[in-house]
Amino acid sequence: MIQSIPEALSLILTFEGMLVLTLGTMLGIILGALPGIGSTVAVAMILPFTLTMSQAPAILLLLAIYAGSVYGGSISAILINTPGTPQSAATCLDGYPMAQRGEAGKALGWSTIASVCGGLFSAVVLIFAAPQLAAFALNFGPIETFALILLGLTCIVSVSEGSLIKGLIAGFIGIFLSTVGGDPITGEARFTFGQFQLIAGFNLLAVVIGVFALSEVLIRAAALRDGDTPLVDFDGIVLPKLREWKGRIKGLVKSVLIGTGIGILPGTGAATAAFISYAEARRSAPTRDNFGKGEPDGLIASESANNAVTGGALVPTMALGIPGDAITAVMLATLTLHGVTPGIRLMTENPVLMAAIFSGFFVINLMLLPLGMLVSRMAAPILRIKEAYMLVMITLLCTVGVYFVRGIPFDLLVMAGAGILGFTLRRQGYPMAPLVIGMVLGPTLEISLRQGLIITDGSFAAFFVGHPIAAVLVAAAFGILSLPFVRMLKNRKAS
Amino acid sequence: MSALLSERRVVSLIILMLTVGLILSTFGLEFSDLGGAFSPMFFPRIILGVLLVLAALNVVIDLLANDTAKPIELLPVMIISGAFLGYVLLLPTVGYFISSVCVGIIILLALGLRNPVQILLVPVCSAGALVGLFNHVLKMPLPNSPFFWWI
Repeated sequence: MIQSIPEALSLILTFEGMLVLTLGTMLGIILGALPGIGSTVAVAMILPFTLTMSQAPAILLLLAIYAGSVYGGSISAILINTPGTPQSAATCLDGYPMAQRGEAGKALGWSTIASVCGGLFSAVVLIFAAPQLAAFALNFGPIETFALILLGLTCIVSVSEGSLIKGLIAGFIGIFLSTVGGDPITGEARFTFGQFQLIAGFNLLAVVIGVFALSEVLIRAAALRDGDTPLVDFDGIVLPKLREWKGRIKGLVKSVLIGTGIGILPGTGAATAAFISYAEARRSAPTRDNFGKGEPDGLIASESANNAVTGGALVPTMALGIPGDAITAVMLATLTLHGVTPGIRLMTENPVLMAAIFSGFFVINLMLLPLGMLVSRMAAPILRIKEAYMLVMITLLCTVGVYFVRGIPFDLLVMAGAGILGFTLRRQGYPMAPLVIGMVLGPTLEISLRQGLIITDGSFAAFFVGHPIAAVLVAAAFGILSLPFVRMLKNRKAS
Repeated sequence: MSALLSERRVVSLIILMLTVGLILSTFGLEFSDLGGAFSPMFFPRIILGVLLVLAALNVVIDLLANDTAKPIELLPVMIISGAFLGYVLLLPTVGYFISSVCVGIIILLALGLRNPVQILLVPVCSAGALVGLFNHVLKMPLPNSPFFWWI
């Protein structure tokens, strides 16, 4: 795949390619800065616009939105003490106190440089690690694929914030929804209950937009805050001087490594990485006493780690077709919508596309620096926009998005239903990321299980006897699944 | 709602009952009897079986736990949900622009906005911008109104 990079670069370094990357990154920063929208909603909202594009620009636009929004979250975290995305929650701890001291520009300077470093390093890891992982997985048959998907599904455990049972329920609802429609082997209709529109199954995009974006509108409508947002004085980003970096490089490297490593693990996410990195910096930094009072080391730790997660999370997504979280699940859904089959053969079948995505991701992270400086000035006044206006715009955008996928009004009803279902479930503590992960991985899980059983004459035991890789993967899956229970028992014992 | 039938418990019970209903429905449907992994219901039954166990466990957990869900303003949510359902049903008939402006106005009113200029301007501008972008720039026409050919 690395050999395809020059060809891929010729695709990116065109007027259209650079325009997509620039506009995507700028839009991502603005959407990320708007509190409550978050990276997943931002990516889901923009996804429909990619339908008019060819494969590489479409994926690159969404990657730009993804990376831009993770960085953009720090703008509102620093300027109004409200993280634009959950990934930036740790940034508030030191970013806002700096802004209150009149150092908003400096705080954003540190966060910009840290984000760029984190993103660039993770892009390099993505370029080199993903092909190796994909090459290893190339000899996988249906049984190994089934075991791999099973392992991928265990990331539901880590994205189930709050209740594991509720997370698993959401995940299984997602897998069940993926079975609605034609059977992949016999072609017979399942669970359509006489509705011919359901023969093709639920439109994944309608469900994704419904459970994330539309349910977000309803949740925010239920808890709408009124009044204007207090904004600190801000005249633009002030980049840190070279001498100010003295003693901070080690912390930056450590945070970038933590972020990338955590990103590769399915399901952990950028918010976790930011807090782990922040906690580690607070433990080991010589300036630890100033943490929480506006210490740049704290900002560097959280921002470099959360941006480093972006590239790390794409490693299992692109190499194995396993989304680590909701955002990467939406990315895989985009590939499907553009006629690319996600999975372990993605890299060998589409080397140029993959190389374009990887090198494009590197370029996006490079562009974060100038665009961050430019857009943060523009984003600051946008933060004052009334929440009610934003909800109207999100609603109208969602509708357009879903309508354009197939032009079927039934999909709009599915989106409305998914939105109401998402609102009801989220309100009761059911996370939505497992539902989407289940829906994305469900079809591959089903087909690989059934093919595997046909090969082994219906014997589950034969799955593991002649297939050591599958046995190891399934053992790892059960190990991950049992972790929360082991932790619970340990806590009980300790208390 | 009584203390026993809290919102959370009702949702858990609905999930359980729906799962039971779906499992039962798999036995009522007729498929070509190929048996084993060839059967179209082979995989859904496994998934629904696991879901049933999880849903039952969830009901027990929710019955034992205290319901700590914070009370919320349900009226705007219900109005917006209803308006949105009406919107997606009407959209193919009255066109994107008119239905979008109507739903935008309802959302803003439900959220407590009372300034008539803002209430009218925001939906008109948002829907108008999207119609302009999709119909004229991207050349991906949105559903047209039967009353005005240009929107």
